[in-house]
Amino acid sequence: MKDLAIVIKLMMVEKKDVLTSILFGFLAGITAVGLFASSGYLISKAALMPPLYALTVMIALLKLFGLARAVSRYGERYFSHRATFTILSNLRVRFFEKLEPLAPGIFQKYRSGDLLARIVGDVESLQNFFLRVYYPPIVLVIVFLSTVVFTSFFSIYIALLLVVGLILTACVVPAWFAYSQRKIDHNVREVRGELSTEVTELLYGFSDLKIYQKLDDKEQMLTESSMAYINEKERDGVQSMFNQSMNTMVSLLISWSVLALGAFLVVEGQLDGLFLAMLVMISLTVFENATPMALLPSHLEESRLASHRLFSVVREEPLRVEEPVLSLPQDQALSVEMDDVTFCFEEETRRALDGVSLRLEAGSKTAIVGPSGSGKSTLMQLLLKIQRTDAGEIRLAGTPISQVAQEDIWTNSNVVLQENHFFYGTIRENVALARDGLSDEELIDALDKVQLSHLSLDDEVLEKGENLSGGEKQRLAIARAMLKGERLWLLDEPTSSVDVLTERTIYHHLFEQAVDDTLVLISHRLTGLEKMDQIIVMENGTIVEAGTFDELMANRGYFYDMKEIEKSVLL
Amino acid sequence: MNELKSIAKTYKGTRMFLVLIAILSGMTIIGQAYFIVAIVERIFLLGQSFGDIVPLLGWLALVLVARAGLTFLSGRAGVRMAAKVKNDFHRKLVTKFLRNPVQSSLQGQSGQKVSVMMDAVDEVDSYFSHYVPQVIQTSIVPLMIIVVAFTQHMYTGLLMLITAPFIPLFFIIIGIKTQKKSEEQMDKMATFSGRFLDTLQGLTTLKLFGRAAQQKESIRKSSLDFRDATMSVLKVAFVSSLMLEYISMLSIGLIALELGLRLVLFESVTFFTAFFLLVLAPEFYLALKELGSAFHTGRGSMGAAKKIADELAQKEQAVEWGEARLDTTVPPAIALRGVGFQYGEQGFALKDIQADIKPYEQVAIVGRSGAGKSTLLHLLAGLIGPTRGEMIVEGRSLSDYKEADWFDGLSYISQHPYLFAGTIAENISIGCKEQASHFDIEEAAKKAGIAELIESLEKGYDTPVGEAGRGLSGGEKQRVALARAFLKKPSVILFDEPTTGLDLHTERILQASIKELSQGSTVITVAHRLHTIKHADHILFLANGELVAQGTHDELMKSTLEYRNMVSVQQGGVTE
Repeated sequence: MKDLAIVIKLMMVEKKDVLTSILFGFLAGITAVGLFASSGYLISKAALMPPLYALTVMIALLKLFGLARAVSRYGERYFSHRATFTILSNLRVRFFEKLEPLAPGIFQKYRSGDLLARIVGDVESLQNFFLRVYYPPIVLVIVFLSTVVFTSFFSIYIALLLVVGLILTACVVPAWFAYSQRKIDHNVREVRGELSTEVTELLYGFSDLKIYQKLDDKEQMLTESSMAYINEKERDGVQSMFNQSMNTMVSLLISWSVLALGAFLVVEGQLDGLFLAMLVMISLTVFENATPMALLPSHLEESRLASHRLFSVVREEPLRVEEPVLSLPQDQALSVEMDDVTFCFEEETRRALDGVSLRLEAGSKTAIVGPSGSGKSTLMQLLLKIQRTDAGEIRLAGTPISQVAQEDIWTNSNVVLQENHFFYGTIRENVALARDGLSDEELIDALDKVQLSHLSLDDEVLEKGENLSGGEKQRLAIARAMLKGERLWLLDEPTSSVDVLTERTIYHHLFEQAVDDTLVLISHRLTGLEKMDQIIVMENGTIVEAGTFDELMANRGYFYDMKEIEKSVLL
Repeated sequence: MNELKSIAKTYKGTRMFLVLIAILSGMTIIGQAYFIVAIVERIFLLGQSFGDIVPLLGWLALVLVARAGLTFLSGRAGVRMAAKVKNDFHRKLVTKFLRNPVQSSLQGQSGQKVSVMMDAVDEVDSYFSHYVPQVIQTSIVPLMIIVVAFTQHMYTGLLMLITAPFIPLFFIIIGIKTQKKSEEQMDKMATFSGRFLDTLQGLTTLKLFGRAAQQKESIRKSSLDFRDATMSVLKVAFVSSLMLEYISMLSIGLIALELGLRLVLFESVTFFTAFFLLVLAPEFYLALKELGSAFHTGRGSMGAAKKIADELAQKEQAVEWGEARLDTTVPPAIALRGVGFQYGEQGFALKDIQADIKPYEQVAIVGRSGAGKSTLLHLLAGLIGPTRGEMIVEGRSLSDYKEADWFDGLSYISQHPYLFAGTIAENISIGCKEQASHFDIEEAAKKAGIAELIESLEKGYDTPVGEAGRGLSGGEKQRVALARAFLKKPSVILFDEPTTGLDLHTERILQASIKELSQGSTVITVAHRLHTIKHADHILFLANGELVAQGTHDELMKSTLEYRNMVSVQQGGVTE
């Protein structure tokens, strides 16, 4: 509920549209009541043979109500939808604002991209919150109360009866059903999850299932969970049909009571028979608005879950940042030092880095190698302050990075990550991200250097760079880093999908530009490392070996063995 | 919509039932109006006592309860029909998936297929649970009302008859036009939220380049632009429903006017008739309007139905099996006789492979990426069937044997073994048919060099892995796959050697394990390690889907230029 409060707060920013929607909703509701009330009155009046002018006035009124109702309904729809879309826009911006300071650290925690996709879906699904949960009850209550006040002029008992009806159809019955529905909803979600897992396993693990002859079991399980899901869903559907019909019945019976009570009052002489038809028509109409209330709880629950998921992601405050008192020197190569650095990912027992110490001189070139999972990328993340060390100290140019702002490090480095994002747009937009004021010539030159001259700056890029190959994406990322032109290079397997020849050309340009800069290269290949000032070999979160290429080869240690295996690998 | 329509047609019983319900609903609607009007008339004009109307009140109550009850029955029938249809779709899809998934997983379509099974099938629901009952309801109820109107007062009937067509007409003229536009808008909506997702996913990149702040404004702006574009479409839709509302209002007004005039001026209708018709008129137009909104509901299901239909229509390349028994305790002799394989119509082809694989042989499949190595391995595994030629096992075609017998003797260690949701122990013991003892599992884990790691985990062998469980690294997964093989003791092992990225430890274990496993079986490896290739008894050298040469390493070095080039270039590239 706390999360829905945030949504409501964002909603109230659009006060004007919200109030206008409510106003038009009210007008639409009340004119409908007026329309049917007057038609009931008209027909009764007509039966008493009134003068013609009275009838004419009534008919004119009838038309007026009809027109007003149609127009207000239009206004209600227009403003409520506009409000909804504006609210969604606010929500997106707000969510982005909250997520932004947490990135990129938060993406480590939620490794799968599905999470973000779900979040985007949650934002969309919150449109129902305003349209179906928030303002309709307000409109309903106002319309009802106005009707009750009007009715009370004719009969206070009937007015009271309507109030009882409102409480029953808008509160008691929906609340009761919401309670009984809760468990079913929960079950539906659960069995859907199970089915989804089963289908995923069938498709992704098919070969293994087939060979281990578990396909029949899997089919059996799949059929069972499909049945379970469909049955649960059916129960859910039947139950909500039942709720709706039940609510309709209650409201119809209230109208029935109005008729019975009205008839009784007329017979007793407490009510003019002229108004009986009108009151029945009013009752029938006003409860039409109450029937959708039966669905309100499920929309509410849906919105509650969506907003909960949405905001629980960004709830955690950004790690308390020590006041960054120091800033990195500009325009000079930085030295990198690590002292006994230890790091462990949340919810993992194994240490990702364990007592790592290293010293990279300003302007030196270092390669970090080791099998996957050995802690190379983690080391990079710590250098970029995407993750914080558990123990030990990291210094850039002699300054402990705990006292330097993240942004300061990022501004001063050229980074290529393993996964580099490319946005929907053009090649130009994606590459020019590097720095302001880049000319097309500079961009084209950079593309040439990474052997991408076949791309034009105006070529389209799809979301996530879907239309680019892995190698093209890596080369574009390198071009971006080269254009940024800072003095610290942090490259995480930048060319793993690029062939050896192209890699060599790219490295040639890269090292030419970085000749005086500090460069850290995480490498999956052991080729081309001969000229490195230092090669650091990692395994299981520790440094097992370090030295120049020749030293390591002469040592015949871990690096040598890895090199031997690599030599024998045919691709 | 046609697929769904023809499915709906097969549910004759449900449709008959819905028709019956609709007729009864129509009767309750008319009954409701009748009793209300009768009661008002007796009290208001005829001055009867309360006791006189009690029976009528009783009838009215009954009719009202029946009306609600019928709504429920109709809805329930719809929901049940939807459940049956979905169940049917699930069954058909699973059957389809079971017959054909290797090709699809090779083509990277697994995610898409999951979505068809989960989302598309769900989307079909509303067609059967809402649209079908609604259409039946609206094609019957207005008809009944208009008949009643004619019997009561011909002019009202005529007015209804004349005005009614305007509503569907209006739907056709305006509705369809806006429908198309609004569907386009729905597509844009999907694109738009795709872009938002794109920005979120790229946040790391944006921050590294110091560009995050300016994205906020661009999100707001594009959101609002999107809102305005959507509103302009919605406005048209709203105006058209305004017009519809207005048409029905106008029609009811006309009916009321005519009735009023006759009642007062000409005294040619009674109060009862006039009031009765006036109560029925809105019900008449309401039912017509609901048809329009039902169409809207039905449309959403169409796209989904198409996706399912496309999936079901995909060509199958199922593997055939027979009834002959195969002794799997010893490695069989395998022969490939002119074997070829093709994906779909054109796709990739493996051509005319001719080879003999003797029991206990160490076979290496070698070739550049894209040469057809994996396809050949899949063929040898029996995961796909040859589209040309035959694979002969112990003198008979593989398709003669029982599927179970063949797979009983087979282990396949892929580059990316799949871990199922379950414990590590369960994942290892998936390898053997009988319930494996805990001792055997641990023994297999030890041989695969993963026991130490498993024991270091808090829950040991009971640690959950897979979908929701702990993630294992690539090397660890490989070792789990090895453990499966040790437990199973197969007579044929198919092994897709990793290309890169393993730690030395796993490298050594892989080599030692395969060596140990090869004592009791034929091992066919898609080989990337020179070590493996050199030690193979028999190399199949593929290029562009063809078997270019076969023999031992030394033979091929002598005989085949392409092979020699490949080996030496790679080594040259490495040592440089």
